[in-house]
Amino acid sequence: MKEANLIDFEKFKRGMELFLEPPDFSVGTTPSEIIFTEDKMKLIHYIPAVEKPYAVPVLVVYALVNRYYILDLQPDKSVIKKLLDEGFDVYIIDWGYPSGTDRYLTIDDYVNGYINNAVDKIKQRSGLDTITLFGVCQGGTFSVMYAALHPEKIKNLVTLVSPVNFDTDKGLLHIWARSLDVDKIVDYYGIVPGDFLNAGFLLTDPFRLMIDKYVGLFEKIECETDDGQCELRNEETVKNFLRMEKWIFDSPDQAGETFRQFFKDCYQKNLLIKNKMVIGKTTVDLKKISMPLLNVMAEFDHLVPNEASKPLNDAVSSSDKEMLVFPTGHIGIFVGSRSQKDVCPRISEWLKPRSILNGEGEKRPIQTGKKRSERKRNSRTSRVNKK
Amino acid sequence: MEKSNFESTQEIFDMWLKTYEATFGRIVEMPAMGPTRERSEKMMKGFSLFAELSSTWMDSNVNFQSVFMEAMRRVREKTANEMEGEINPEKYKEFYRIWIETYSETFKEFLKSGHFASDMGKFMSYFMEFQKFNREMLEENYLKPMNLPTKTEIDEINKELYSLKKKVKELDRVIKELSLMNPSNKDEIL
Repeated sequence: MKEANLIDFEKFKRGMELFLEPPDFSVGTTPSEIIFTEDKMKLIHYIPAVEKPYAVPVLVVYALVNRYYILDLQPDKSVIKKLLDEGFDVYIIDWGYPSGTDRYLTIDDYVNGYINNAVDKIKQRSGLDTITLFGVCQGGTFSVMYAALHPEKIKNLVTLVSPVNFDTDKGLLHIWARSLDVDKIVDYYGIVPGDFLNAGFLLTDPFRLMIDKYVGLFEKIECETDDGQCELRNEETVKNFLRMEKWIFDSPDQAGETFRQFFKDCYQKNLLIKNKMVIGKTTVDLKKISMPLLNVMAEFDHLVPNEASKPLNDAVSSSDKEMLVFPTGHIGIFVGSRSQKDVCPRISEWLKPRSILNGEGEKRPIQTGKKRSERKRNSRTSRVNKK
Repeated sequence: MEKSNFESTQEIFDMWLKTYEATFGRIVEMPAMGPTRERSEKMMKGFSLFAELSSTWMDSNVNFQSVFMEAMRRVREKTANEMEGEINPEKYKEFYRIWIETYSETFKEFLKSGHFASDMGKFMSYFMEFQKFNREMLEENYLKPMNLPTKTEIDEINKELYSLKKKVKELDRVIKELSLMNPSNKDEIL
């Protein structure tokens, strides 16, 4: 009994020692370069990992909530790195941190403005008429809207844990959203604080997310003080924890008018799946989506339940469409053990034959105007901006 | 016993609210008069807003406390059934597991209910209204008299800036399109 007590105390002590001298950790380390900026939006191009990547470039669109680098959290848990290793030419949008001047930005500005300009930029660089759009979470919802409004620019559409049907009781956010007077929130804040949204996410499972998660960290600490390997493992445990902790609480504020429209039109009126949502002056008709579609979901997703994503496949007119469900959660699909082992390989498998130029059946080098060695020199190792 | 505790808290609060509504609440609702009429009337509105906010806060609080009590009851029941014998550190871990699982499950049931969603919705509405009122009062009574910019004015500038940026982007796009249509006149168009 005394021994067990000492082990627990030792674990806590070792954990605290590690926190007193915290190890350096970084996120978003895959080499990349910024190739286009507009207001706070940055279009990032990852340096290809193969000499001749697949011809059709992939543009990843992440959500406005939280930061895009969850897809490149660390080298061994990076969706981006995996796509690069599989031979894709990958771009991602960094939305930045909206401030006062962004409060009036609408979904139209994001979809027909920023995303459209990013797509045009990539088209121009690759010399192709169409690209692959890879939308993640809310970014997937935006990608669906974009693909319906500009189908002529999209060759393939991939959605990862993306909601399109908001009329479901499976997720707490869907239930709560119905009773929230979003006008009062936006009218008061203007720019809706990221911490406000974070409070909502924490409330979905308060005891696990605010207590058990931290207890679990100390439980993982090992105590063989003479064992160098053990020290390294402990350090890695703390680093992994801190990377995730940083991402969770690195929450950009939200452009008020976009937040208002997304909440009202999607969560409260469920207009998107009914083909009644208006963006700019155009009604989004999901039947206009006729390109190949891959809709990927996480079985235990508590934020975007499968019921919110599945109806997309029936709503589009694509004949080439597939749905994949993996036994993992909303975050696990990016950084869990299955992500690298199952999720990324399956997405790559689907994308590869659809990323070859029609009739050519061969890979083509990308055109950048710079030599590969030059690009590597100029690239930054981390693209994570501070608030 | 557990239930009666919350009932008394609620009863005392209800009594306070009723008394407030019958007395002071009526006074603050009276139309103001004189040169400071507009300002006084706005300021008095704050009392009613605060009473409404307190009332919804009390409802939410009582509901939360009831869930805590239910979770505690379930933990007590489970520990009595599942934990026997000598108490040692491993037992504490077992107790922690039961505690976190039970609290987590009980709260999930509560958070899923439409009842919680509607309570939270009401509370948030009153809270936002109250905060907005406070900001307006700060602007009216302090910032404007000191000739300092207010949030409302900054928002107006932001809106103007947004419209101008949008216009410039649109014009930029049109110019590019025109120059593409007629490359020989590019310099003229630009």
